[in-house]
Parts: sequence; C-alpha cells; structure tokens
Amino acid sequence: MSLILKNISLPLAPFTLEVDVEIHGRVNVIFGPSGAGKTSLLEVVAGLRAAKSAFIQLDDLVLTDVARGVFVPIRQRGIGYVPQDLALFPHLSVRQNLLYGRKSGGDKERVFPFERIVEVLEIQPLLQRGVAQLSGGEKQRVALARALLAAPRLLLLDEPLASLDLKLKTRVLPYLARVRDEFRIPMLYVTHDRFETLALADRMVVLVNGKIEQTGPVQEVFSRPASLAVADILTVETVLPGRIVKMDGELVTVAAGPTALVSAAQNLPANIREVYVCIRAEDVMVLKGGDVPGSARNHLPAVVKSVTREGALMRVELDCGFALAALLTKQACEELALLPGSGVVALVKAPHIHLIPR
Amino acid sequence: MTAAEWQIVRFTVEMAVLSTVLILPFGVALAWCLARLRWRGKTLVETFVAFPLVLPPVLTGLVLLKLCGRRGPVGHFLYSEFHFDIVFTWRAVALALAVMSFPLLVWTARSAIEEVNPALEQIARTLGAGEWRVFFTITLPLAKRGILAGTVLAFARALGEFGATIMVAGNIPGVTTTLSTGIYQLVQAGEDSHAWTLAGVSLALAFAAVWINVRLMRRSKR
Repeated sequence: MSLILKNISLPLAPFTLEVDVEIHGRVNVIFGPSGAGKTSLLEVVAGLRAAKSAFIQLDDLVLTDVARGVFVPIRQRGIGYVPQDLALFPHLSVRQNLLYGRKSGGDKERVFPFERIVEVLEIQPLLQRGVAQLSGGEKQRVALARALLAAPRLLLLDEPLASLDLKLKTRVLPYLARVRDEFRIPMLYVTHDRFETLALADRMVVLVNGKIEQTGPVQEVFSRPASLAVADILTVETVLPGRIVKMDGELVTVAAGPTALVSAAQNLPANIREVYVCIRAEDVMVLKGGDVPGSARNHLPAVVKSVTREGALMRVELDCGFALAALLTKQACEELALLPGSGVVALVKAPHIHLIPR
Repeated sequence: MTAAEWQIVRFTVEMAVLSTVLILPFGVALAWCLARLRWRGKTLVETFVAFPLVLPPVLTGLVLLKLCGRRGPVGHFLYSEFHFDIVFTWRAVALALAVMSFPLLVWTARSAIEEVNPALEQIARTLGAGEWRVFFTITLPLAKRGILAGTVLAFARALGEFGATIMVAGNIPGVTTTLSTGIYQLVQAGEDSHAWTLAGVSLALAFAAVWINVRLMRRSKR
C-alpha cells in the first residue's frame, strides 16, 4: 500500500491541519494526543470531509486533487472506515449490518469470505441479535467485520479500543492482530495508546497540533523521538535536561543533575551541547545493591520512591539524583522486595539513553 | 345516519386520504432537502411552505381559486389542454386539503430526518451505498416514525379543513361538501341535530388521528 497525502490543509478550531506525507507499509499508526487532528485527517482521506487543499493518492488512484477538481465519491474510494463511535446501524440486525456493504464478486483479490470473517472475529453467535444487545467489545468486532466485508483497499480505524476498559482492550486487541495477519489489509490506525501502537503497527506518524512531528518505524520513533514534543506525547517516562560534557567517538557523556550518563547517541549535530535526555521505563533495569556485574554503561545508585501497578507491569519510581521511572514485572518486584525506601541500583545501557537537542 | 350524511363522511375521508397520499412523496423529499442540503433560496421556500399555517385559510383558498379558476393561469391551461375544471369539483377539495396540510407534514418529517445521525449515512457511503440506497435503507427507516407521525397529523388537519375548501370548492351537496362545510351548512339551515351527528363523527376521527400521532411521537423519542 502506498498512500500519498500532499499539501493537505484544513482549518480546524485552534490550528490548521497541515499534512504532507507518504505512508507505506501494512499497519500505520497515526499517533497523537486528543485534539491533534487525527480524526479530521482520517475523514479527509475517506472523503467525508472536504479540505481547503489536498492531494490524496492511494496506490495508483488519485482520490482527491482539490487543485484539479478531482474528488472520487466516498462510495467509490474503496476505503473502509470504522469511526470511534462505530456507527452501527441501529435498525438492522448484526447480520444485516455485516451484509450492508458486502462485496462478493468482482475484484477477487480483495474479497474476504463472509464465513471466514465471521469465524476470525467470532461473530457467529451474534448474527441474529440486534445491535443494541451487543457489548462494547462485540460492537467493535461487528463494526470491524462490516468494514472488512466491503472489501476495502485501505481500512481506517479511529481509536478502535479507546472506549473499552483495559480488560476488554486486551481481549479485543488480538482480534485486530488477527485481521492484520489473516486478511493482510493495509490499515491506518489512529490512537494515542503506546501499547496498541507497539502491538499492531509497523510504522507510525506522530501528529501534534495538526502537524506531523515525526514518521518512521515504530521502534525507532519510540526510542528516538525527534523532538521534545514527540517524547512528551509518546510519554517517554524520563525526560530531563542535560549538558554534553564529553564526546568520545560513539559515546557521549552527559551531565544530568548530579549524575553523568553515558549515551550512544547517533546523528547528533556536532555543535550541540544542551540536550534533553530521554529514558524509557522499559529500558531501565533494577538490581539490589552489592557489586554490579554486566555490560550496562550507566550504574545509578537510587532509592525507591513508590511502586504502583501499571497494566500487567509494576511502575517503580526511583530517585537517583533525578526522577527515573522503571517498568518491571510483578515477580521481579517481589524477588527484589522493592518497597519505598529500598536502596537499589538502576542500570541503563548506553544505546537506551536518547538525546534530543534543545 | 342518513345516506347523505354517510356520503359526506366517506367523501371527506377519501379526500383526506387522497390529499395526504399526494403530498407524502413531495413532502418527504422537500423535508430531506431542508434537513440535509444547503441551497440558495432555502429560507424563502421554508417561508412559503409555512404560509398556509399562518395565513387566514380563506386567503389561501382565494389564491387557489384565482390560480385554478378557468381564467387563472393554471386553471386556464388545464381546461384548454385537458378539458377539465378544478374549482368547485372534488379536485378542488383535494387540492385545498393538500395545500393546507402540507406544512405540517414537511415540518414534522424534517425534524425526524434531522434527528437521524448523519454519521450513519456517511458510513453507508463508505460501504459503497449510493445516495438513493442511503436514503431508503438508512435515513427513511430511521426517520420512519416521525414521518408517519407527520403524515397522520397532515391527515387530521385535512379532515377538519374549512376555509380554503369553501373558497375553492364551494359547498355543493353530494359533490364538494365535506364534514366541516356540511356542519356549517346544516347549522345555517337550522338542522342542528344533523349537524351534531356530523360533529360527532368529526370529533371521533380527529381524536383517533391525534391519538395515533401522539403515540408515534412518543415512541420516536425513545
């Protein structure tokens, strides 16, 4: 799939959505805080909303070209859209909803058999029901199936899991992964959830206040946010100001608070001194006292401030001269007997300390 | 009831049904245009549609009479081309009832259509539906109750129409006399007991129609 969005401009209330990007790959996340213009962008792509200027091309078909007056009608775009409120037809049964846009012939490559979709999304027992009798997770699956049955060339999903609680989220997420793997349909997935992004997407686009701040493979964006704004939005747990004191080939030494950190920063402009230091909580290891073996460059004596549950993991707030967050498994927390006040050593490998010029 | 009274009741109901059936497609189409489209002159059209609600019915009748009489533009054309008259025939009755009840249908249907979530129509389009399919499978079914309520209301209004009817159709016994004009005529002639019979029928019909309307409106809110 290739989706070219050129010169998109759409005035929204506090800012103007301005997008210029080429999107490739199977599952792309559009990541951004609420109110960043993510939904508006999807609506422009689907043709539900007219932009002031826009050029949109999906594979080899130009869908919108405002300058030349090209506008392919919504129904001929072959773009499936699952809005945040799902918009299931309330007067139709689940089966009728599913069959509404069903394509059965024609373009064979894209058509997904009804039985297979119903099976993969486990909708069989719901078919005869009315839409009002479905739970949140069931509605989500039905909306997804309905969009798939129309055999779209691209599927737009607007925060599909946002309205579900954490427990339900973890139940529905695998269905999305199954759809991705089984039907191999390109998706543009809007979310502000890191977990969903890491679980589903290959690549991501970070959208802030209507502008694209960064694009790239998910892992790369998460470990190397391009700006402070991106680091903030991706909720990289630890971001603190630092000053480069030494550059020794690949390794950069940064003074952060009272501590010196060693980073394997890449592509840092030569003249930069003032930086932000970003450390993801997943990349922090915690050991209990004693002599510290291992290859990690940064050994930081620290005191545990608090231990709280975060999803399946435990979030440990440390004080090592600056506030540092670590994400550990519950077992690890128990084995280390981590309690507020415990003395520990935090380990961070040099490649996991990411520097952003400030 | 006498045969003449029966004839009046039957004729009035027939004319009310006919006029309602006639205005239904136009009324719903106009309601959709008002609810879903933005166009120049919309306010003007809205004003004209609502006119019969506020004008003295006799005035509306007078306008129709002047338009549809043999010397009026519409009446002249129909008479010279197709050799039939409108005024002072059953056609004039149906016309008067249609014009007078049209705004009630349009207003109710319009708000029913406005209550349908446009996002559902949009999603139907992304699923490949064209505009007609969207209207008949999404908009219409979801606005059905409100439109039906408007239809019943229009029918009830037609049953009781007097002013416009008497201007354009007159009050010709056995030809254009309706319940309302019939009651008027009987009271004028001092035949109060017969007038009361027709009044009773009128009351029963109106009650039934409004009752159905209220039921429909209540359920459409849910």
